Amino acid sequence: MFSLALMNGIVIGVIYALSALGVSLVVGIMNVINFAHGELYILAGYFSFIFADALGWNIYVSMAAAVGLVFLFGILIEYSLIRPTYGNDMYSLILTFILSIVLQNAYLLIFGPYPNKPPNWIKGATNVFGQFYYGNQRLAALVAGVIVIAAVFLMLKKTWFGKIIRAASQDREMAELNGVNTKALNMLSFGLGCALAGAAGVILAPVFPVSPTSGVPIALTAFVVVVLGGMGSMWGCVVGGLALGLVENFGAAFISTGYKHIFGFIILILVLAIRPVGLFGRSET
Amino acid sequence: MKRLTFGICVLFLGLGLVVGATPGVAADTIKVGVVGPRTGTAAATGKAFEEGIKLATGYVNSKGGVLGKNLEIVFEDTAGAPDKAASGFERLATRDKVAMVLGESHSSSALAEIEVANRLKVPFIVAEAWADPITAKNYKYVFRAGPSNSGVVNHTIAKWVAHEKFKKAYIVAENTDWGLGIGKLCEAALAKIGVVYETLETERKSQDHYTELAKIKAFDPDVILAFIYGTGLHYFVAQAGEMKVSPKAVILDGAGPPSLWPDFWKNVGDYGNLECFVSSMHEKVELTELATYFREAYVKEFGVQPTDYKSRSIFDAILIAADAINRAGSTDPDKLVQALENTNLLVTRGTAKFDTTKGGPSYHHWMPPMLVIQWQDKKQVVLYPPEGATGKLKR
Amino acid sequence: MKNKTFYVTLLPFTALFCLLPLVLDDYKLHVVIVSLFYAMMASSWNLIAGYTGQVSFAHAAFAGIGAYTSGILAVKAGVNPWIGIGIGVVAAAVLGLAVGVLCLRMGGIYLSLTTLGFSEILHIIITNEYEFTRGTMGLQVPGLITHYSKSAYLYIFIAATVITLVVIYRLIHSNIGLNFRAVQNDERAASSLGVNVIGVRVLAFTVSSALAGLAGGLYGHYLLLITPEIPSLNQQFLVLSMTVIGGLGSFVGPIVGAFVLEVLSEYIRAYGEYHVLVFGLVALGMARFFPKGLTGLVQQYKTRQTHVMGEA
Repeated sequence: MFSLALMNGIVIGVIYALSALGVSLVVGIMNVINFAHGELYILAGYFSFIFADALGWNIYVSMAAAVGLVFLFGILIEYSLIRPTYGNDMYSLILTFILSIVLQNAYLLIFGPYPNKPPNWIKGATNVFGQFYYGNQRLAALVAGVIVIAAVFLMLKKTWFGKIIRAASQDREMAELNGVNTKALNMLSFGLGCALAGAAGVILAPVFPVSPTSGVPIALTAFVVVVLGGMGSMWGCVVGGLALGLVENFGAAFISTGYKHIFGFIILILVLAIRPVGLFGRSET
Repeated sequence: MKRLTFGICVLFLGLGLVVGATPGVAADTIKVGVVGPRTGTAAATGKAFEEGIKLATGYVNSKGGVLGKNLEIVFEDTAGAPDKAASGFERLATRDKVAMVLGESHSSSALAEIEVANRLKVPFIVAEAWADPITAKNYKYVFRAGPSNSGVVNHTIAKWVAHEKFKKAYIVAENTDWGLGIGKLCEAALAKIGVVYETLETERKSQDHYTELAKIKAFDPDVILAFIYGTGLHYFVAQAGEMKVSPKAVILDGAGPPSLWPDFWKNVGDYGNLECFVSSMHEKVELTELATYFREAYVKEFGVQPTDYKSRSIFDAILIAADAINRAGSTDPDKLVQALENTNLLVTRGTAKFDTTKGGPSYHHWMPPMLVIQWQDKKQVVLYPPEGATGKLKR
Repeated sequence: MKNKTFYVTLLPFTALFCLLPLVLDDYKLHVVIVSLFYAMMASSWNLIAGYTGQVSFAHAAFAGIGAYTSGILAVKAGVNPWIGIGIGVVAAAVLGLAVGVLCLRMGGIYLSLTTLGFSEILHIIITNEYEFTRGTMGLQVPGLITHYSKSAYLYIFIAATVITLVVIYRLIHSNIGLNFRAVQNDERAASSLGVNVIGVRVLAFTVSSALAGLAGGLYGHYLLLITPEIPSLNQQFLVLSMTVIGGLGSFVGPIVGAFVLEVLSEYIRAYGEYHVLVFGLVALGMARFFPKGLTGLVQQYKTRQTHVMGEA
């Protein structure tokens, strides 16, 4: 029981961290919360399902294509909806909240209410340390999730684009004075945030098939992880995701299965009451 | 000030719309309402209902309709939510002035609707909502032509568990009205036949059952009675297979339709083999001539074999309603109730007769026979009852 | 002087609404009652969003607190629904105060996320505490009057709506209201002028939660069934759309939005369940291109007219 809760907590935790990365990135750079994050995750899942299942493409090609399309969609959203709202956080919240409901209902109309499942990458289950059996697809999702998270960190640390992002999230005005085109940066980083949601979507859709409303819990946990880790902190995101995954699974195993999802929200409220900037957040000056 | 004046204008416009014309009522049809989830997580049921409605109206109207007029069905969406269901029911009664209302597949919605039915005195035949209190409340205007929790548990599930000589059972119930209700009834029935059991609550929407399955595995049951409706059941079956809980433990889907949905095999993969489910329909077992008619008409109309038995449940309900209206000779609610109480009609699932003993859930209830079916290499094999069995349980 | 105009306008309206049962059948009365419920909800949400610039996602949750408090008291302890609704309003106000104090210091995004978390916690508790709330099945509750009649409920809702509007109006047009505006326009300037920014926000949040509790309680006892749908995000979306389409930050806007959307949804219903999608698209377009909503559009039109006249 304990070993399985630990294992599942780590797997689900990595998944949470992956889903929250995009939110964290966008908040850090633009101070915008994208309420439709979960719906973009779902969109990528649908795309990969259509390409792989209906059109019969190779699984990995369809995944890459899905993430690319969601990236473009994200750029479109930023250009048409978010751009006029800079400087007014409330406005972008309202817009993206409405957008999330619109997308949910559009999916219902287009794809119907049933969950859609892209094909598994691998079959079967593995016996882990002689303790329990664990689905291979989940283990694959864990590996893929770790790879994507590592890639994002490398990009931020090592590349020129990463440097600009870090500069902009630390001091926007200063970056602008130094010749950073913030308009283009906003567009790219919003697209990147959406692409990360999409990456999480294509990795997880085979394990947890996507349905029109299944993005809501994804977005909610992502927001909890972002607040818990500290707004805009990437490390906070990873730590927060793992913490939440472990707490939920141990809570379900030893306290109550029915209340599995309440633990995260209770942590959120506690964090806000005690240390509003989260685990790794910088206090606003 | 100007803004207020404008507001007044808009309000008047709005009210004008409300007061304004309603769609004209054609007087050459008799209207009967159907309630069911056309949107939401159980929209599949709405689709099954639509198919059944199409076939049934064709059948009734080809046989002369009702009271010499054509039968018209008005299908109102409940979205699977009790509040929408109650207002939808009220809309059918006040806006469409229907003679009767049929349908429903959510117990929670049905329990809200029966209150409205009784308040507005509209006869209501529940087709596929199983919770006992629906008929146990003994409302005059409420009937049920379909399974009830206690009926399914006592006549089918518990007897099947005893028949297969299972020793240890695990009950997994979703935390909804239907799940918790049928779970409790199962506990009582299993205790009576001396089967050891444990129970666990889960969420219908949950996609991750690993922790729950670890608990189940520790108990090592012979059979898992899963009361999870919808795709939640698919995840449960797939993950039970991954964790090697099944096939050692046989899984029984206590509702039925989710195991027949078109995406079942895609979601569960090979782990769906040897899963069992409850159903009132089997491709090879046809109890009446009308069942054969229904299958042939369905294939002719939709080009595929019928799978979700709820299309047939609503078909039956419409036939029962049409028959009652014709025998009552009017759409007066009290005469309709009397006619319904005297129903003796051959439908697809057998002969429909409503019990009139007061005091329990069997009041105004007709319990059609149910089957336990197992998937064996993507073929449906009837395991129970013995007189209908087409094969043996495989483990 | 301003107050006078307000009351003078409110009175004939109220009278007009009271005459409705003479001309409408039961089904249409039901539509009017539901519209009044949404008018109360949208107006009180507008008090936080439109006048203090904070987006709360827990407004429907507070309506749920009002409804469930009163419903559970009525079912479990046999409390008279009228008293129950009173207790429900107090409960919603106290929780509103708590949530307000917890996150209004942070404001902005933190407030939105916390209210979202609060509404989820409530949802989970309602679905799990089956013994008290009957979970997704919904709690069947007694009505406010012994003999069920649509017109009686209409009068109750008219009275409640009038109370809600008067409270909101008085609040906005008092000295505190001036502070509201100041806070929304420029927080730093307001606080440097000695306006207690957080105090003003917490007050608005508490009053608004209490009003939501009142609306929710009445609605629950009107439907005779209290379900998790009342405190759901979908309901929150409807209230938000009504306010945005009607006009955020205007007094008449949310009322107009509530009536227009509710009546429209009854009409669209006949063509299947697309009304949420249609509203969403309209609200999205409105929020993006006409942030002042319908009322703002009309005003724009009017000012242009007067402008043209002046030139002629």
